[in-house]
Amino acid sequence: MEIFETEVAVIGGGMTGVGVLRDLALRGVNAVLIEQFDLGHGTSTRNHGLLHSGGRYAVKDKEAAVESYQENLILKKTVPGSIEETGGLFVKVPDDPDDYVEKWVNACNTIGIPIEEVPLQIAFAEEPYLNRKAEVVYRIPDGAVDPFTMLVDVTADAVEKGARVLTYHEVTHIETTNAQVSYITVKDRYTGEEKQIHTKLVVNAAGPWSANIAKLANVPMKIINNKGMLTVLNNRINKQVINRLRMPGDADIFVPAHNVTIFGTTGINVEHPDDTSLQREEFEHMIMKGKDLIPTLPQIRMIRAFSGSRPLFQETESSDASGRNVTRGMALLDHEQRDGLKGFITITSGKLTTFRYMAEKTVDLVCEKLGITSNCQTAEVAVPHREAKQALENINLTPVAKKKLFSWAGVNASSIKANLLKDNSIVCECESVTWAEIESALPEKGQFNLGDIRRRTRLGMGPCQGTFCYRRAAAMAVEKGVATSDEAEIALQNGVEKRSKGMRVIATGSANKQLELMDGINYVSLGMKKGGETYV
Amino acid sequence: MLYQPSLEASYDQCLKCHACTVNCPISSVSTEFGGPKQLGPELQRMTQNQGILDDASIELCTLCGTCDRTCPENIHVSSLTAYLKETHAEEVGTKFRDIVLSKAEWVGKLASTFAPVTNATMKLKPARKVMEWIMEIPAERNFPEYRFNNFKRKYKIKESTTERKVAYFAGCYATYNAPDVADSFVKVMEYNGIEVAVPKQNCCGVPMFANGQMKAGKKNAQSNIDSFLSYVDQGYDVVMTCSSCTLAMKKEYPGYMQTEEAQRLAENVYDADEYLRILYEKGELNDSLSALNDKAAYYAPCHMKGQGIGNPAMDMLELIPGYQIEDMAAGCCGQCGTFGFKKEKYSYSMALGDTMVDSKSMAESDYVVTECGMCKNQFDQLTDKEVRHPIQVLRQSYELN
Repeated sequence: MEIFETEVAVIGGGMTGVGVLRDLALRGVNAVLIEQFDLGHGTSTRNHGLLHSGGRYAVKDKEAAVESYQENLILKKTVPGSIEETGGLFVKVPDDPDDYVEKWVNACNTIGIPIEEVPLQIAFAEEPYLNRKAEVVYRIPDGAVDPFTMLVDVTADAVEKGARVLTYHEVTHIETTNAQVSYITVKDRYTGEEKQIHTKLVVNAAGPWSANIAKLANVPMKIINNKGMLTVLNNRINKQVINRLRMPGDADIFVPAHNVTIFGTTGINVEHPDDTSLQREEFEHMIMKGKDLIPTLPQIRMIRAFSGSRPLFQETESSDASGRNVTRGMALLDHEQRDGLKGFITITSGKLTTFRYMAEKTVDLVCEKLGITSNCQTAEVAVPHREAKQALENINLTPVAKKKLFSWAGVNASSIKANLLKDNSIVCECESVTWAEIESALPEKGQFNLGDIRRRTRLGMGPCQGTFCYRRAAAMAVEKGVATSDEAEIALQNGVEKRSKGMRVIATGSANKQLELMDGINYVSLGMKKGGETYV
Repeated sequence: MLYQPSLEASYDQCLKCHACTVNCPISSVSTEFGGPKQLGPELQRMTQNQGILDDASIELCTLCGTCDRTCPENIHVSSLTAYLKETHAEEVGTKFRDIVLSKAEWVGKLASTFAPVTNATMKLKPARKVMEWIMEIPAERNFPEYRFNNFKRKYKIKESTTERKVAYFAGCYATYNAPDVADSFVKVMEYNGIEVAVPKQNCCGVPMFANGQMKAGKKNAQSNIDSFLSYVDQGYDVVMTCSSCTLAMKKEYPGYMQTEEAQRLAENVYDADEYLRILYEKGELNDSLSALNDKAAYYAPCHMKGQGIGNPAMDMLELIPGYQIEDMAAGCCGQCGTFGFKKEKYSYSMALGDTMVDSKSMAESDYVVTECGMCKNQFDQLTDKEVRHPIQVLRQSYELN
């Protein structure tokens, strides 16, 4: 068994975990991150991708609103490659309470969130899908954040600064000696091989799974997993984020994301953190509600639906209330104070927008515990931008694929360029993904996994959902010696099944035809097995 | 009636099935061309609310409309590519040559006025070399001849006095290059007791759309709509002999113009043989057709196939006693209107043309029958076969009586 030492082990490769990892790396603290699947397997890639500006929480939760607005400004500066400064609108429609508008305007003004009333005709011209019965529209500095690229970029920057990352590793054991965490045991999901990580401190950032991790350390903790459903519209129907000007509720946000719009969400408490089930009734409920903002929503084609759980921390009755609730938005638990276990910290709840702030507060506590004096740098030090226009200006590629790479290639520009010279094939036509990008996104070692490639390149994120491109990518991987044919086949089966799950629940009209085409090609024409072997 | 989706809604229905790309003639001979799926629905989706994007490979689209015909979701793909042509023209400008080629009516008027000189010059090798050098029009490319005594000069009837009234849209080719086709149409109608009126008309706009001159094309479309709709309102049927002009009025005008007038006109437009077939079905056709012991090969132009009305020319010619006609069942000819006159497209044009003429039914035929003057030009380039318009054959059969 491989045994190694680190100062801090971070459990959970979601946005919070990778944020903590990068903060530690920037402060020069030796750290390793353990993620049970791929980065962002949980909540961090299962959300709207909304860069809040605080408007949503202005009335209900002032502290969260302040944090959101501050972080909005910081992230635009420090993770610019993953943020599109779309701006946002808050829209009041006829049934929304009139008095909320005044409360909201006052709250935004008090907090200092810049808002501006937009004449209705201008709002309708900007957003033709918007309900023409809208009564009041305000502009707000919302943005769209790509959680996939942000996760990858923040992690890559941490690794570049010396951190270590183990994905597809599950924590199986947490050893405590004299009320102090001494090591953790992790297991490689692909090979079954175990590793022992000796550490001074464990940061539990496992989101919906953080109660399970706490349990491994015999710490009682309750997390309410509040599952929300979202859908991906076939097109980018709006230029800017569209929010509803009322108390936050279901199905009231539309976020433009690259070539699509993400619409959601709902909230249902579920038992299990792995529960990402999708219900048709929930989807229909969402569409009914969403019609208030976008009346033609039922006629708009969807690509798929997905769900993820918000991990909401709730202090258990049994423990004393010494857990340090930094704000209502996030929960930072010092288990030494709370449960008498040294070397164990949990950071949970919070929002995608405030991940950096959560990481800062967590690492402040880590440093305090380890006796390190070092200031947080993540509010100033930016991760490398994804802009790559200059580097790729002269490549031979279709204009649309080129345009994507200009704002996508970033630090990989030179490797992508070199790959493009060898092969400039487009693999995914819906999202214009080249083989060159796939090649540069492949891990140096490890399993060929179409889901991992998808999260790093957008392969299979378009309307066909991998019907054509997953197969092409798998075939090319075999042809180029990147994967064996058995690996490619398993990757294909897994990939297709995951894609079709999200399609099935929304399948009416064109989306249903698309699914039928996918099933027909895979299971009828090409005789692919259903429910094949899974590798993790 | 053809399905008329609105431009805004249609591309959303794309299932990525690739039928359009697989059937696209240009995609079959070029890897440089993005193809109808990529440059149509996909580019629309990837640029919506994200600004416009130019793709120079759209120059290779011929607007043959094969994509529209093969789409199982009835997406008007070619109207997306036509608008992309406009975007491209606006971004990088239009070559002088393409402006000239797009003005088929203007060229027709001019060339026909100086017809003997024009035709002789077009056959002079040194002149063609200069033209290739300055205009990038290949010296070896065949050009249709122009007629001084064009149809416009000789036929001036603007009103029909018969019971059935036909307003004839001749199009540039039958007006300036092949007035015999227009004459034959008038004669065949006469044999059926119909007097043909020729309303004021301009080039249908197809060469303009194909060269990214959307605004100019729409201007022509509007003037034709205004002119012919006033005839429709007086009970005329609009009948045409050029398959491209016919498809433009039936499909492109409603698609591009998105007006009720364009739609109403489209509902009253007929291909000449389609119209005769209706007369036949109603028992109104003059059936005194004399026997012709010819063996013909029929070539269906892309814009004929795009009308979705079967093979009315073959249906009509088969009524002639003794007449044998076989469908060549060939793909695109490669001339594609102005496309085949362009030097940088010439190799694609030839690759498609060679495939077309490699046909058993053509080899065994006395002559080829097709509606399209541009397809005829490609036959003239590649074979020694005579090419006739179906209406010329029908006229011959009537006149033998």
